[in-house]
Amino acid sequence: MPTIEDLPMCVLVEDSDEDADTFNDALRQSGVKAELRRVCSGDACMALLREAGPRLPALIVMDLNTLGMDGREALRLIKSDLTLMAIPLVVFSTSANPRDLEFCYGAGANAYQVKPMRYLDHVRAMSDLLDYWLTRVALPGYERLPS
Amino acid sequence: MSTGDTEPTALPWEGQAYSVKRFGISISNCDSEPVQTPGCIQGHGALLVLRPGDLCIVQTSENTAELLGHAPLDLLNQPLHQVLGAENAALVAAFLQREPVECNPLYVLTHPARGDAAPLDVTVHTVDGAVLMEFEATARQPNSEQDYYGLIKHSVARLQGTLTLQALGNAATAEIRTLTGLDRVMIHKFHTDGHGEIVAESCRLDLPSWVGQHYPAQDIPEPARAVFRQIWIRPVREIGAPLAELVPLAHPQTGRALTMTYCVLRAPSVMYTEYLQNMGVTACLTLAIRRGDTLWGLITCHHYTGAASLPYGLRAACELLAQIVSLQHESAEQREHLAYRLRLEDVHRQLVTEAAKNSGLQALVEASPTLLDGIDASGAALFHNERWWCVGLTPSATALTALTGWLREHPDFQSPTRPIVATDSLMRDYPEGAALVGVASGLLAFALARDFRSMVLWFRPEVIRTIEWRGDPHYEAKVFGSHGHRLTPRHSFALFTESVRGCSAPWKEVEIEAALRFRMVVMELIVSRAGQLAELNADLLRSNEELDAFAYVASHDLKEPLRGIYKYAHQLAEDAALSAPENRHRVDGLMRLTLRMDSLLDSLLHFSRVGRVALQPEEIDLNEVVKEALEMVDARRSERPVEIEIPRELPPARCDRVRVREVFVNLLSNAFKYNDQPLIHVEIGYIAAEDRASGLAWPVIAADHMIYYVKDNGIGIHAHHQEQVFKMFKRLHGRDEFGGGTGAGLTIVKKLVERHGGVVWISSEPGQGSTFYFSLPSIGAI
Repeated sequence: MPTIEDLPMCVLVEDSDEDADTFNDALRQSGVKAELRRVCSGDACMALLREAGPRLPALIVMDLNTLGMDGREALRLIKSDLTLMAIPLVVFSTSANPRDLEFCYGAGANAYQVKPMRYLDHVRAMSDLLDYWLTRVALPGYERLPS
Repeated sequence: MSTGDTEPTALPWEGQAYSVKRFGISISNCDSEPVQTPGCIQGHGALLVLRPGDLCIVQTSENTAELLGHAPLDLLNQPLHQVLGAENAALVAAFLQREPVECNPLYVLTHPARGDAAPLDVTVHTVDGAVLMEFEATARQPNSEQDYYGLIKHSVARLQGTLTLQALGNAATAEIRTLTGLDRVMIHKFHTDGHGEIVAESCRLDLPSWVGQHYPAQDIPEPARAVFRQIWIRPVREIGAPLAELVPLAHPQTGRALTMTYCVLRAPSVMYTEYLQNMGVTACLTLAIRRGDTLWGLITCHHYTGAASLPYGLRAACELLAQIVSLQHESAEQREHLAYRLRLEDVHRQLVTEAAKNSGLQALVEASPTLLDGIDASGAALFHNERWWCVGLTPSATALTALTGWLREHPDFQSPTRPIVATDSLMRDYPEGAALVGVASGLLAFALARDFRSMVLWFRPEVIRTIEWRGDPHYEAKVFGSHGHRLTPRHSFALFTESVRGCSAPWKEVEIEAALRFRMVVMELIVSRAGQLAELNADLLRSNEELDAFAYVASHDLKEPLRGIYKYAHQLAEDAALSAPENRHRVDGLMRLTLRMDSLLDSLLHFSRVGRVALQPEEIDLNEVVKEALEMVDARRSERPVEIEIPRELPPARCDRVRVREVFVNLLSNAFKYNDQPLIHVEIGYIAAEDRASGLAWPVIAADHMIYYVKDNGIGIHAHHQEQVFKMFKRLHGRDEFGGGTGAGLTIVKKLVERHGGVVWISSEPGQGSTFYFSLPSIGAI
């Protein structure tokens, strides 16, 4: 049984409790094994990353419009920081505004997912995302766990 | 008083001295009559011409025997004391030394009665190196000297109390009539074109008024006017009374005719006499009204009841009044000009204020006051925003537009310093103006910009129409002289009307200046309006950005709780305790409404983006665009068969490919959606320019736009709904009928077409299908 330290860490930057809850549901349904760390703001995300030390998250899922420092600013900081830029970062936002898409991909986001309105679609989108990023693709710094 | 052996019908007086008595009848042209050297005096007085220095008599009037007791031949070459006696001759000699008598007749003494001859007032003046001594019956009675000074003092006070030109004229004529006792006293004004007008009058109550009458310049010919630039007063004691010729007629040494300009007894001209006689005038007095060196007009006095005695003292009083009237007149006119100018400024200021407030130049003719309340005109027109705005009497819009073609080419219109056209006879320079004389003989016009796209015009009708002419019998000739009808007021008026045909009253300098100042303030208004527009644009830009931010917030912040609501509803629905059918139904409703709200938010967001995103116009093959659009709406096609008809290939358009495709997608999906026919038929086509004038009530389309259409055989739209379908979120049908929808599609279509500078409209009837027309810039349009 792997300890929690062995599990890949997934950081969720999300200020909506409902959406964070849905994310949990998705994680559970996907069967992906990961340690979920949720923060509500860009500032908290940056603090968490600085405290994380050598053990960096395997994935960051980030809402754009969060409390305090918003996701855009956090995205920009992470993707311009040499120690953090390799972490896959997926934007998960309500906005389908082309300007947001352009900005995020331009700043180095690895994917951009628009949040669906329907709950089941929402859950499926999240679990697909988790499955893809945490179990299918190769990530730096993590040995693939036996499934 | 023999006329000698000279032929009365002799050739004109070339080579010899002129005498009105001998040659007058040969005069045929007023301007050729030598009025200043008539060679005769009025027969009631006598004249001696003296050599300066020794005062030897060199010429006399032929009537000295009756008046002075010596025949002319007895006086010639005699010293003056032969007539006056030594004492008075010495007095005259001293007087000539002492007084300013050059061109200025002054009373010197009264020659006492001799035998049958009455006492005579003697006045002297010098001119051209001759001394002229005039004798006329005295009015001076030893013990009842008329107090002319006292009389005139009151007259002057009354004149100075008047404020307007009219009041001054009325007062002056009344004063002079009281002073002289003459039947009619008139003030004539000479207009700039030389024609005269009677502007004030005082007359015997039983006489008709002549105020307002106009007459041609020839009625007071130039020689007569020239005299009044030199003298102030001209009396004629009795029209048609016998004249006395000079003996000898020419100066014995020089052979020249005697200059009699300043001579009070000078014989009246033959033309003038006949003119007055034709009107029944028996005596007259004329005074000058001068403005510096120019003759502004005259005060003329007519008497109809015999001779008028106008002795020296009375004449001096009248002369003084004429001088005071001249001075007062100038200041009254300046005052009136100032008042007029201030009124113009005031009205023009109000006009501009109104135009600024009402955000439109049309306020100049539509609000109150209008352009007509300022400058004295009968009509005014404003050309602005490609159309005419008129007030009062103006030519038709067609005539106005034709007129502007001429105006644009007029050099004055483009003058950098004085860009204004002012004419009192439009037809003189603009032949087409002949048809407009009734409303636009006079034109005052300026443009508000170099491109002449805005201009202001004032009009005045033909002056003839503004003059009141009463065919008064009193103005008819009483008798006709040798020149027949020619020298009559009736004939004068006929001449006058001919001379002013097609002419309006001239534009005054004060009006032209006011118009130029008005032009400046209106232009300032336009410039400041442009500034306001720029500010407004900046505001719009800002509010557009705010709208952008708002739409973004709406998309995110409104959707987030919505998603939460949906989620809880979903979880409730899954809860077994709520599986009672009615609760299940309610929770489903909750979820459905949440989804609808979501799509409304999406539409709103899309619409706001459609309005802002910059277009990328290029030459587009619309046939390809239609093909793509048909592919995109394919999924929305109903289960019923669809038939697409494109009768002829669509011409290319200059537009944004993606946006125009969206237009077609929206129109096509509507055509499929709102259709209850078993076979859905949709036709896509265009209207060629030559087919546009098909009598349909179509909106105004830019000339370089092409009209396209999408026609269906669907349910149609009732006429009173046709405007509404373009409104945001406006749906005509139930939420779930015809496949639902947010009601934003046509709003977006309208927005996109309008952003291309085009127009969208519908032709439809319920049950008959709908045709959506829209215009787009064709190739070649900028």
